[in-house]
Amino acid sequence: MPGGVATAAAEPIVLDAIGKRYETASGAVQAVDSVSLTVRAEEFVTLLGPSGCGKSTVLSMIAGLVRPDAGRVLVDGAPCTGPNPEKVALVFQDGGLFPWRTALDNVTFGLELRGVPAAKRREIARGLLEPMGLRGFERKYPRELSGGMRQRVAIARALALDTPILLMDEPFGALDEQTRLLMGEWLVGIRRRARKAVVFVTHSLLEAIALSDRIVVMTARPGRVKDVVDVALPFPRDLNAPEVTDLRAKLWEQVREESLKAMGSPP
Amino acid sequence: MTVLAWRLGILVVGLGLWEAVAAPLNPIFYVGPSALPGALLQMWRVPELPNLSEHVWLTLREIAGAYLLAVAAGLWLGFLFGLRRTVGRVYEPLLAALYAVPSVIWYPSLMLFFGLGPASKIAFGFLLGFFPIVLSVLSGVRQVPATLVTVAQSMGARPWTVFRKVMLPSMASTMAGGLRAGLALSVVGVLVGEILGSRAGLGYVINYAYGLMMTREYAVLAVIVAAAVLALDAAGALVEARVKRWAG
Repeated sequence: MPGGVATAAAEPIVLDAIGKRYETASGAVQAVDSVSLTVRAEEFVTLLGPSGCGKSTVLSMIAGLVRPDAGRVLVDGAPCTGPNPEKVALVFQDGGLFPWRTALDNVTFGLELRGVPAAKRREIARGLLEPMGLRGFERKYPRELSGGMRQRVAIARALALDTPILLMDEPFGALDEQTRLLMGEWLVGIRRRARKAVVFVTHSLLEAIALSDRIVVMTARPGRVKDVVDVALPFPRDLNAPEVTDLRAKLWEQVREESLKAMGSPP
Repeated sequence: MTVLAWRLGILVVGLGLWEAVAAPLNPIFYVGPSALPGALLQMWRVPELPNLSEHVWLTLREIAGAYLLAVAAGLWLGFLFGLRRTVGRVYEPLLAALYAVPSVIWYPSLMLFFGLGPASKIAFGFLLGFFPIVLSVLSGVRQVPATLVTVAQSMGARPWTVFRKVMLPSMASTMAGGLRAGLALSVVGVLVGEILGSRAGLGYVINYAYGLMMTREYAVLAVIVAAAVLALDAAGALVEARVKRWAG
């Protein structure tokens, strides 16, 4: 790859003391306050915290969908000025699939915008859907698919862009516990094949432990970085291992504290 | 299949009842369905009576003109008010207020502006057809899920692409409903306009027959209009169902 030295020098994502306030009817709300974080190449970082702690806002700022009003966001060394579909792909909370497009046509959407020829688009989409267990479902509409399938289509749509950075906003939040854990296992497999820097948002402790290289625990509003925990366990992870149990207890201690704060102070 | 059989059955029973009720009554005021084919033939053959096909053709052209104008203005203003928030806030209450006023009260002024000819009928058909279209576009724009717009933007879609590939498909069913209702009302507007005052068109012939106590001829015309409107609406429903299937 040309410019390999330069790419190696620039970290995929650098957040430098970013902050965001929202104006609401009942006054200004500081959603995110001076969050600094560096995500390295091929690293899987999870933002963990209580609901409404600004995790999704941080993700939106990395995606260039929301502009921080303090600090800087660097994507691949360059300041982020808006959506950057060449570098960053996003998976949304509820999937965000287009209901009038088939599974296949949902996956090809981003490639369509890039002007990739139709035959090539379909080839790429099929290549992504097949190993996800969606062979034979290419022509189904989102309403005809199960929740887990829809979420896989949404992930395939993001992977189709073939970006070095993948952002995932509670992608399995709407699924039941079992499906969620299975999807997690499946994502670990995907991740090993597709070498990407991933930022994953969740409020599930177990999901965070199962997937992450690093877990960033965030505080209740305003969202700040409370703690950064390295998870140095080999993949695939045994979620019943004693290290996992210890880590879970430690994370729960921190998240519990913040959740109580969040509950005590109404938004 | 059974539904179709039932519908045919209801039609036959309805016609039978109509015939049974009308038969013993004064034929000047009451006409059964059996009298209609003869009356239709007579209208076609007797040169002194108004030329039916000419009048029907004129009415169809008026409807087409009124509807096309209603669609053009409805889409344009609907998108303008829906996409430009401030403009929408200024004009939408005005639109709602106008919609609440019974449109028939405007008809005399339309006649004064546009005269007895087709123009006033087109204007009235336009006025009636316009409201459901513009309102459906407005509510359609508001129904577009914000997430889907964000999804497209995150993949680099520019405003025009977002409009074409996200907004239009999201609002297609709502808009199809409004366009269908607008067509039905444009037809009503043109016919009512013709009946209230005109020198040509289907509505004029209806008024003519009624005025001369030609009850048989009047009944034929009423049935023709009913059948035409039903056919038009069925076609509209088919298109709407297709759009809905496509837009999910």
